Parts: sequence; structure tokens; C-alpha cells
Amino acid sequence: MIYSWKKIVKHGLPLLIIAVLIEIFAGQILQGRQSMLAMFPIFLISIPVINSVAGNIGSVLGARLASGLHVGYITDSLKDSEMHQNLFVSLLIGFFTYFILAIVIYLVALFSDTVRDIALIEFVSILVFTGFLLICVVAVVSVLTAFISFKRGLDPDDMVAPVVTTVGDVMGIIFLFVILGLFGVGI
Amino acid sequence: MYAKEMMHQSLPLIIMCGLGAIVAGSTLSLMPDLFEKIPGLLVVIPAIIAMRGNISTALGSRLGSAYHLGVINADNLWNDELKQNILGSLILSFIVSLLIGILAYVSSYFMGINPDPIVLISIVIIAGILSAFILTLMTIIIIFLVFRRGWDPDNITGPALATFGDIVTMVCIFASASIFVGVTV
Repeated sequence: MIYSWKKIVKHGLPLLIIAVLIEIFAGQILQGRQSMLAMFPIFLISIPVINSVAGNIGSVLGARLASGLHVGYITDSLKDSEMHQNLFVSLLIGFFTYFILAIVIYLVALFSDTVRDIALIEFVSILVFTGFLLICVVAVVSVLTAFISFKRGLDPDDMVAPVVTTVGDVMGIIFLFVILGLFGVGI
Repeated sequence: MYAKEMMHQSLPLIIMCGLGAIVAGSTLSLMPDLFEKIPGLLVVIPAIIAMRGNISTALGSRLGSAYHLGVINADNLWNDELKQNILGSLILSFIVSLLIGILAYVSSYFMGINPDPIVLISIVIIAGILSAFILTLMTIIIIFLVFRRGWDPDNITGPALATFGDIVTMVCIFASASIFVGVTV
């Protein structure tokens, strides 16, 4: 017998507890803006999307860096050009994905009659700004997590995905409300 | 120049996961009334989605490794190793759901909101366990289908569970919160 439920619980719990503590903080930010979110349900549709895209791109980037570090075609130097290329492609994918999905969200909201007082251009700009800012932070966190865990002898494959998705969730929600403030929506 | 392949291979999958997240988000956008009636419910949303994602993708990737180790295969899927994995995921889901409920209540209390602790904790536990059962079943079906075709489960389970996980979790919270609105109002 290789697996036992006790080991699975014991190994899984510490990281989950830290993640949950941080996510509850994100939840409190949402609760604080509850009335604004009730007025603009289009942003309730957007929140899982913002977090999913950033989490996925950060995880893919992290997994790619981890493989590169393990095999040796990426060195743990901040000047590594292969790492720079991966980072650049991640930002490009992020920008493109948020742009496409913003339009889809707007159409879904239009179709389900939840669009109120917000134009397509304004909504797409808000989502792409938020998303791009988030991807920049998540990509940097992904690189740092991969490099630091590799240097310490930990497997980056185990570390990057949970760190990146948790940081991405909180920062995504914070950035969304900051950008909404800059655009003067819901004030 | 390995970076370019990320464009071709990951982009379609990331957009597909994003479309899944739109379905999850649309479910969320139907819930403002529930958030109004059950204070503290909005607080648990990011935590329960994150919990579900972490626990089910870990289960998927453990079963992927078990396949590579030869511990489970298409002819010998339902064995003790698989049962221990499932049990581990379900127990983790229960403990973490309980923790989310308690933390959401305590933090809301300090923020000056006073949720009903029993209602809030029950909603999270019901949604957590229900989504754990559904996603565990989904994982086993995906793994079984992948085995039969002779594919590598590592390439499939992660994105598939990430996409369906959010949707299943949101629907489970919606369902479990709806039960309590009927009871408390």
C-alpha cells in the first residue's frame, strides 16, 4: 500500500489552511463591496474568470520553468533569456485571453439582462487593465516561487500552483476594485 | 526557443477554462439575493473555490502518478489504493469546509457583521462535501476513460478538473444556500 488517507490529509492540510486564511481575506473584501456587486452583477460573472485565467497562466508558466530547471535548459538566474521568453509569452497570452473573454462576458451579461450603465468599451477596458496588471504580478510571483523553491531543494512543481492561485485570487479582487475606482464605476 | 509552443498548446486550453469560469461566474451573478439574506455567504466564495481546486487537482495528479507507478490501471482501478485516495480527499474536504465556515463567521463578526454561525458553517460543509463527491466521481470517470484510450492522465485531469470544479462548486453553494434561505426566512 503506497497511499493512506492519513498521509494525504497530513501532507495536504498545512498548505490548504494557509490558502484558506488568505482566501477569507479576499472574501471579506468582496463582502465589503457587496452592494456595489449587487448593482453590477457583471462583475460577479467576471471574478471567477479573472482568477481562473491568472491562476492557469501562472501555473503553466511555473510548470514550464520547473521542467526547465529540472532538465537544465533554464538556469536559476534572473537574467536567463529562456525564462524571459516564457514570461513575455505569458503576458501576451494573458492580454489576448482577457480581451476575448471580456467580450464574451459582456455578451453573456447582455443576454441575461444584467448589464446596467456600463458600455462595452468601458467594461472591456476595465477587465483588460485588471487582468494585465494581475498577469504581470502573477508571472513575477511564479518565476520567484519556481526559482526560490528550486534553490532551496524543494520541487517547484509542488509549490508554484498553490502559491500562484492563492496570490492571484486576492490580488485579482484588489486590482479589480482599484481599477473600478479609477474608472469611477460604482462610487 | 521553447516558449512559442506555450502559445499553441496552452492558449486554447486557457481560453476554454475561462469560458468554464464564465459559467461559474454566471451562477454567482444569480446569487445577490442569497448574499443579502445570508450575511457572510459572499466571504466563503473565494475560499471554497480555492479549496475545491486544490483538493481535486491534487487527487487527479496523485492518481496520475499512481498510474505511472503501476499501482492502478484500467483493469485494476477500484482497489484499496484508489479508496485511500478518495477517503483522503473527502476527509480533507470536510476539515477544510468546517474551517472555512468558522473563519468566515469569526472574521465577519470582527467586521461588524453578525452571521448565523450554524447556518453559515452548515452551508459550507454541505457544499464542500457535495462538490467533493461529484468531483471525485468525475475524476474517476475521467481517469477510467483516459486509461482505456491509453493516454497519460497527467495531461487531462488538471485542466478538466479546473474547468468543471468551479462550476460544480458554485452550483453546490447555490443549492445548499437555497435550502437554508427556505428554512431561515
